[in-house]
Amino acid sequence: MCGIAGIMYKNSGSTKSAPIGDELVKMLETMVHRGHDSAGVTVAGEANDSDLLIRIWVDNSAPVSDTVARTEETIRRAGGAINSSELSGSFLRIKANYEGEIPPLAEALLNEPGVVLHSIGEVSEVIKDVGTPMVMDERHEISRLTGTHGVGHVRMATESVVDISHAHPFWAYPFTDVTVVHNGQLTNYHGMKRSYEDRGYHFQTGNDSELIAVYLAEKLENGISLNDALEESLDDLDGTFTYLVSTKDGMGYAKDRWSAKPLVAMETDDVVALASEEVALRSVFTEELDRTEPQERRVMTWST
Amino acid sequence: MVNLDASKLSTRELNNQIKEFAANGVETITIANPAARHNIAVGILAECDLQIEGSVGYYVASLLDGPRITIDGNAGWALGENMMSGSISLTKNAGASVAASMRGGEMFIGGNAGARAGISMKGGTLLIGGDSGFLTGFMMQKGRIIVCGDVGDAAGDSMYEGTIYVGGEIGSLGADAKIEESTEDELIEIWNMLEARGISERPHFRKIVSQKNLYHYDGRERHERPLI
Repeated sequence: MCGIAGIMYKNSGSTKSAPIGDELVKMLETMVHRGHDSAGVTVAGEANDSDLLIRIWVDNSAPVSDTVARTEETIRRAGGAINSSELSGSFLRIKANYEGEIPPLAEALLNEPGVVLHSIGEVSEVIKDVGTPMVMDERHEISRLTGTHGVGHVRMATESVVDISHAHPFWAYPFTDVTVVHNGQLTNYHGMKRSYEDRGYHFQTGNDSELIAVYLAEKLENGISLNDALEESLDDLDGTFTYLVSTKDGMGYAKDRWSAKPLVAMETDDVVALASEEVALRSVFTEELDRTEPQERRVMTWST
Repeated sequence: MVNLDASKLSTRELNNQIKEFAANGVETITIANPAARHNIAVGILAECDLQIEGSVGYYVASLLDGPRITIDGNAGWALGENMMSGSISLTKNAGASVAASMRGGEMFIGGNAGARAGISMKGGTLLIGGDSGFLTGFMMQKGRIIVCGDVGDAAGDSMYEGTIYVGGEIGSLGADAKIEESTEDELIEIWNMLEARGISERPHFRKIVSQKNLYHYDGRERHERPLI
């Protein structure tokens, strides 16, 4: 199964501090029956005084304090200046000024023992953990995060292992600010993954949803619009999928040709919310609104 | 008449109370604040009027035998699954697999229905005021689906028996389905049903039925089949 959710404050202009974290957690809590294995969110659009927001999970392959010190040193060595570095449990959140290319920085960080990169963004960050959204919120205080938009996920694992790194959202390494949450299974995953690896991409997990993020981010990097990238994915990806994507200033969904995985949407002039189930939308919209259910082979995008 | 507040009850408590009141002869039960929750009014086997005041989630009013249910809002997936008798009337849109394996009774969807409406339907009538999605009537075995608007692709795919009436456009036909003209008697009957629901339009319904070619498989290997 799995449950997905997304919300965006359109035309949000300069305010950029809508309660995205709180609303995503509320939506995911109502859909916790769709997956207890892990949960995660991307929160995007909060005004950031630094160039980059880096989210790292420090695994136990090295002493945590060593890993943190080496991580900070790696960023400095790459030419970055660290503005803040907060460690909460084994999760590290770094704000840094950095003007260089992202791939060499990402690769240098990944080469450090103990570093698992969850996201590098200019305006967005990924927070994910095993357990339910309630547990995740207690540990990471996601409800306090604000921004313009975000996506979230509760996971019931089918094809790959249950651990922190296989929780959604998946960040498109090594691009900034492209993350995906996915409900479904890709049947042409292994072949497509190999073709990306042949072209030099490194995947961080064995999860098919990571491929969607990289697939979309590469297209966006090549100047293809988000809407067109989603459209093309309907033919290129095989299997069952309804997925949501969050970018620097955009959000969208794509739904497969079989209409196999659910999605409903509610939209006002200012806000659009998407979720696997209407019960999740009701947790953020108190007024009576029409809800739409996208059908097969549909994509749609919004921007802030 | 009994009024229940869903926000104060677990789904199990709510369904147990509905069953108890219906068994004790309460004729009308209203349910406030359903908040798009799943599994409301499942397995109700006694006659009663059940009015749900808002949107509901998945599998609502499934395994039903007897009640008349009205829902003022939307429904999630598999509304009225395996309904045996009674009626369901929904004012807005239904999710996928509405009336799945329905065996009898009447279901009315005021808005649109999602994918696979009437999948594996085995009897009764499913009337959709708006459009119906992909694979409408997939593997249908009996009964009738009436769609006032358009149907999506693969309509009537692999249907055995039964009829899908379509007032609007047909996206495409599914495997082994064909289009036929409705008779005058059929049209009059459907129009009367629409009128009873307060629908004034009189679409000229075409009907989708099975070609029945899939009834018999050709068991021979390809090289054994005649060339011409």
